[in-house]
Amino acid sequence: MSIPRVGSPIDIAVSGLRANSARMNVISSNIANSSTTRTPNGDPYRRKDLVLSTNPGQVAGVQIGETVEDMATEFPKLYEPGHPDADANGYVQMPNVQLPVEMINLVEASRAYQANAAVMRRFSELSDTTLELLK
Amino acid sequence: MKPDSVTAHVEAALHAANLRQKAIANNMANLGTPGYRRQDVRFESLLEQALASGGTDPRDIEPEVFQPMETPVNGKGNDVDVEYEVGQMLKNVGRYKTLLRVMAKKYQMMHQAMDTR
Repeated sequence: MSIPRVGSPIDIAVSGLRANSARMNVISSNIANSSTTRTPNGDPYRRKDLVLSTNPGQVAGVQIGETVEDMATEFPKLYEPGHPDADANGYVQMPNVQLPVEMINLVEASRAYQANAAVMRRFSELSDTTLELLK
Repeated sequence: MKPDSVTAHVEAALHAANLRQKAIANNMANLGTPGYRRQDVRFESLLEQALASGGTDPRDIEPEVFQPMETPVNGKGNDVDVEYEVGQMLKNVGRYKTLLRVMAKKYQMMHQAMDTR
């Protein structure tokens, strides 16, 4: 989505709010699917990351990129012979989601969200202070 | 009151800002309505056109509510983003406060001019 007026702190902070909100969506998907052993392609759930980008050299806020799958970490194997998705040796492939990592990312994303909201609040206060000069 | 006076301009802009506030509130109210596209108010571009074509009374320009159709829709056909609307509302409130301040200052000046003790 293009942001109409580049340069206003409010527009930039809004882009930050949206980006962190999108990150929290991805993190919650990872957490919700931390035990999903079956997806349509036969593999367990592969954790997702969100790509955020910006234009260097321009004060333009952050753009939400695409959701990519984490191909770098392996699916851990759990020994559970009774599991419906267990292989011949009794091992089940689990999603490559580590809850402590997701929780830390969630805290970071929500703090960043709060920080962007604080920017908007402070800018409103500054505007009010500026208008006080006209009293 | 002269058609190009401070008061005329501020009044016209206040009318537009008021309408825009209503449009933004409508957007927020329809956050979950399937098929709803966000609304905005067209005024500044109309004002620019009117001033370029020879200066009229800004109060003659009717601000109009329209759907920009610029934002992407979600799965339900709705394109309202709460963070974006909050940003728009903050900017609009800022404009509104500034206009009120200018109006108050104008009245203060008139008051001083009349108070010739």
